[in-house]
Amino acid sequence: MPNLPNSPNEPLLDREFLERLERLAIHWQRSFAGLVGGHNRSRFAGGGQEFLDHRHFHQGDDLRAVNWRAYMRLDKMFLKMFQIEPRVPVRMLLDTSASMAAGTGEKFLFARQLAAALCYVGLVRLDTIQVLPFASQLREGQVSGGGRHRYRLVAEFLEALKPGGATGFLSVVRQYLNEYPQRGLVIVISDFLDESGCEKALQYLADYGNELMLIQLWTDDDRAPSWSGELDLTDAESGGHLRIQVDDEARRRYTEAFDAFSAGIKEVALRNEGKYTGLPTSMPLEEAIFGSMVRARSIA
Amino acid sequence: MEFLNLSFGQFVTLFGAVAAFSVALYLLDRTRRKQVVSTLRFWVQPGTAAPVTRRTRIQQPVSLLLQLIGMALLLLALAEFQFGGRQNARRDHVLVLDTSAWMGAALPRSPNRADATLMDLARANAIGWLRAVPASDRVLVVRADALATPVTAWEVDRRNVARAILESHPGATALNLSQSLQFASQLQRRSGSLPGEIVYVGPGRISAHEANNMSLPDIPAFRVLAIDDNVENSGLRSVNARRSADDTGTWDVVVRARNYGRRAKDVNVTLNFANVPQGARELNLPPGEERETTFTVHTRAAGILEARLYPKDAFGADNYAALELPELRSLHVTVYSNQPDILRPALTSDPRVVAEFRPNAPYMPRPGEENPGLIILHNFRPPAMPPGDVLWINPPVDNPPVPIRMRVNHPEGLKWMPDQPLTLGLRARDVQIETTSIFEPGPNDIRLAEVDKGPIMLARVSADGKNKTVIMGFDPFEGAMRYELATPLLLANVLRSAAPDVFRDLDVGTQSAGAVSMPLTSKLPVQVVTDSGANLPFNVRDKAVEFFVGESSRVSVIAGNSERVFSLTLPEMWDVKWTPPASARRGIPAWNDALRRNRDWWPFLATLGALVLIAEWIAYGRYSPLRLRVVKPRLERAA
Repeated sequence: MPNLPNSPNEPLLDREFLERLERLAIHWQRSFAGLVGGHNRSRFAGGGQEFLDHRHFHQGDDLRAVNWRAYMRLDKMFLKMFQIEPRVPVRMLLDTSASMAAGTGEKFLFARQLAAALCYVGLVRLDTIQVLPFASQLREGQVSGGGRHRYRLVAEFLEALKPGGATGFLSVVRQYLNEYPQRGLVIVISDFLDESGCEKALQYLADYGNELMLIQLWTDDDRAPSWSGELDLTDAESGGHLRIQVDDEARRRYTEAFDAFSAGIKEVALRNEGKYTGLPTSMPLEEAIFGSMVRARSIA
Repeated sequence: MEFLNLSFGQFVTLFGAVAAFSVALYLLDRTRRKQVVSTLRFWVQPGTAAPVTRRTRIQQPVSLLLQLIGMALLLLALAEFQFGGRQNARRDHVLVLDTSAWMGAALPRSPNRADATLMDLARANAIGWLRAVPASDRVLVVRADALATPVTAWEVDRRNVARAILESHPGATALNLSQSLQFASQLQRRSGSLPGEIVYVGPGRISAHEANNMSLPDIPAFRVLAIDDNVENSGLRSVNARRSADDTGTWDVVVRARNYGRRAKDVNVTLNFANVPQGARELNLPPGEERETTFTVHTRAAGILEARLYPKDAFGADNYAALELPELRSLHVTVYSNQPDILRPALTSDPRVVAEFRPNAPYMPRPGEENPGLIILHNFRPPAMPPGDVLWINPPVDNPPVPIRMRVNHPEGLKWMPDQPLTLGLRARDVQIETTSIFEPGPNDIRLAEVDKGPIMLARVSADGKNKTVIMGFDPFEGAMRYELATPLLLANVLRSAAPDVFRDLDVGTQSAGAVSMPLTSKLPVQVVTDSGANLPFNVRDKAVEFFVGESSRVSVIAGNSERVFSLTLPEMWDVKWTPPASARRGIPAWNDALRRNRDWWPFLATLGALVLIAEWIAYGRYSPLRLRVVKPRLERAA
């Protein structure tokens, strides 16, 4: 079980847990162009201090970067390139659809706790993370940046979020690509339960040069229902009904289907050099971050 | 066909309630449950789950039917369903085994049974009856003597019953048959099963008191296994010793013997005290009669008095009796008086008082005596107070032991304090006192007598409570009062107060244990104590003290000034032989009778019920491997 607050007024994460997060950093594999000030090296040259490579001088290049020693020996003009550590845009898509609150709502709480933890990790490393809630459309987001003392803003934003609406990954991704064309790391925290499918939308994100960090959440009943007998099931998002009789065999097939679905999401992430982490909400948040996500090299 | 544990109505009611509860649980368990889920996409894949196309309240009637059948079988087992009528049902029998003292009587010798007793015969009969009892019937054993004592529970295991029978031995008391049979009947009524037989095993020897007050309960199946006790016996009934009224060192001993046989007997009774023969008497005992003889034993010392009856017979327990005679003590009285002749008649009349008269001058107290007895100071004041109990008659006005307010001649308004033991029996108001002193009593002085002017007789108890001083302001041996009845009565009270043990009427006797009754001559408080000092419960009814002692022991009954010591060492014997009613069955039942038996069906019914329920669970249980499989699903969309 996640670290559930005892009352709605309690913070999502306590102080002791936040202190433990300070040694972590969000990692990504790709190199992105960006402003100086990040902590991940980039293959893009820029105004850094560390030598990267030489290239031929072209007209218009900065004469201060010409390697004059090489020109004296070889009579050719080479330009010295320096490596930079850019501040890469990190954006977090947080699923707030009704399916996240199905049952006891523990999935939505877990998602917000996880988002808060990642935001704090980014704040400590001076990364700027933009939290973008979504259901069928992108909702108004919150920029988290400027150091750990700005954590309170994003925490209050996450605490105030309410679940609702159906999931529409495709429309959300289209809207995202229009509004945020700059490539970067995209963290998606969701159950990925979209009636029309989410693989295509995720592929769009990757195709546009974003690195994907997919975090799939599920409750125990989402993956292995405990019910049996005659059931009247209601879809939390669509309101659809299904009268069904469930037995052990049906539950086993259900779990197989769910695992196949999760494997499809993971395949999308890995195929595009992204990262995938599947987290049951019964797992403690501490184990999810320091165990599963560290093993997936999403953070380190 | 019947139920042993339940009536048919109870069974139907119970089964109806259980069936209704089961049906309700069944319907509740199969009620469709509503569940909100994150998605339906994984349920609607082909082969995932079976959709519900038609809703019925009872979808698996066979399952419900099997459950009801299983529970009905279990209830039938609980109700102990049996085929056949009540004649074949299990019954509860009570075996009343006579363990009275008479059961220790020896049987005539024969080659087959050497040294056998009536008890051995009774045990053999009881075991024989036990073998004839059907195996499913329960038996409870009651040992019957003066008390009815159950020694087993309701037992089906014959080994436990046989062990209880074989461990039964003769007691010390006589048989109380009516109480035992009533107790057995009560046990049988409360057993919960069908009543079987109540079987009495014994010779049926009861006391005359019980024979006169016999009230047998209504027993539908009463069986008597009579024991032939045609043996000749004569025995001691009681040995009583009483202190002689004439001589303090003499005991009058009365020995009573009875002939229980059918022929007249000449017996010899011998008496020993401290192993010294005291005499022998010959008694002619007609059949069924009782005779007594007396002995005189001269002794003041304590010792064992033994009475023996010769010749020995089949029942030896009542041929010997012993009782413990206590030491006979006397009270030593020292009288300091210049007029001993007027005191002498009152003090020498009781042999338990040893009086010594001394003159007032010179006063010579007896030195170094811790308990000098009673000291009487007559018209005289010694230089120092003597130790022990003191009766001070008419102390001089000069330096009296209690301040004297005045001297009065011919006082009027004499009144004795009625609640004091020293004035016990004194009521006379017209006693002629010539002259008396009026005392000024202290706060701890007890007033015994007073006149109009004030108290004239006081009592004072020492600080440790051991010594008493009685002060009379008058001389009862002077003038006309000397001839009053109050004078010796007053002196007797003072003497008894000084040594209550000496003046207690002592009566020592040996008789049988069991219910003991002793006549009461006074309404004084009664105390019944054992040798160890423990108080025995007793009842006072019809001017008699009644108590019960189940075993041989020594018991004292103290009532006021009298003490009766019972050495309850003789066995309690019978007086008459009881005749069983004509309706009672006799002898051990026939083996054919024992073979009419049914068998218990409840284990089979319980097993079958459990099997049916297990089969239902395997076929229809929620976690059963045989549950219905999946067919084509159907998704119903909300409008």
